[in-house]
Amino acid sequence: MTGSYIGKPAGGKLLRLSLEWEGGAVVRAAIRGDFFAHPEEGFDEAEAALAGTPVARIAETFARELSARGVELLGLSPADIGAAASSIVASRAAEDGGEGGS
Amino acid sequence: MSEFRYLETGANPASFNMGLDEAVLESVASGAAAPTLRLYAWRPSAVSIGYFQGLHDEVDLGRCAELGVDVVRRLTGGGAVFHADELTYSLVAPESHALARGGLLASYRSICSGVIAGLARLGVAAEFAPLNDVCSGGKKLSGNAQTRKLGCVLQHGTVLLGVDPEAMFSVLKVPDEKLKGKLIADVKARVSSVSAVLGRSVGYTEAVEAFKLGFETILGGLGEPAEPLEDERARALAHARERFANGDWTSKR
Repeated sequence: MTGSYIGKPAGGKLLRLSLEWEGGAVVRAAIRGDFFAHPEEGFDEAEAALAGTPVARIAETFARELSARGVELLGLSPADIGAAASSIVASRAAEDGGEGGS
Repeated sequence: MSEFRYLETGANPASFNMGLDEAVLESVASGAAAPTLRLYAWRPSAVSIGYFQGLHDEVDLGRCAELGVDVVRRLTGGGAVFHADELTYSLVAPESHALARGGLLASYRSICSGVIAGLARLGVAAEFAPLNDVCSGGKKLSGNAQTRKLGCVLQHGTVLLGVDPEAMFSVLKVPDEKLKGKLIADVKARVSSVSAVLGRSVGYTEAVEAFKLGFETILGGLGEPAEPLEDERARALAHARERFANGDWTSKR
């Protein structure tokens, strides 16, 4: 299943999340927006490493992957990604009459 | 505090401008050049997008092509910027420099104090507006973006000399076309320019003098105007060709 989110988390920058998931696990997460992160390449790798993680644990996985690469964020937090993913899954579940999301 | 090298490179295409910022970063990192302040502009006009932005989310590529507007993805994060009537600066220093210390937000504040000093030279009172803006009378005059690579900080930013929201939204995408009018009104309410604040037209040449003096006060010294190193210019052209003008890079998100 796929879904997307656009929003501006409190105190953060604009965030766009495109999520593809299957059986409750992330297939692909694409994070875009006008936040800052460095090293940028570490962010790219942490984002790619989200594949396979349970959607419900996307925030903690992302936090761990960023931290492992020494990535510093400004205008975005792993919790924002978790909230955006939950919102995508919830709205898909609502559209599918409660069947979607996991 | 060590003296900064001062470059004023005039107006150039977007890919060269971003290539030279990267080349300067490499020169400062290797010790081939002193920490550097560079002032510049863009010709043709250009849209730059942040490292993490989606090209197709942000930019009307067809309209840019029609109008001859360059499109480039920056090394730095942040938002999309339409570079037209403005002064751009870039500052590169080792991460050990006082301007880079104390965390990201403190560093933005420190380097933006050069922007504020430059604006003051022009007669504009402005203040830092976290996370990364400089405002006057509550309206944004300058946006800034920072990254750290090779043990150095690179911060570049724009100072709006004039602003034309209609032109800006002719090349930047809006989430909903029906909201375009409202977005233009919002930008008019939130964004201003040096010329608008002063009630007279301030051009690039006048702004360069003011910002050179303004940054000089916060940097504790600025060298005589210099040219980029020969090798730096060659690397800038290579980065422009291989990265910044390369569609794979521009559309990487």
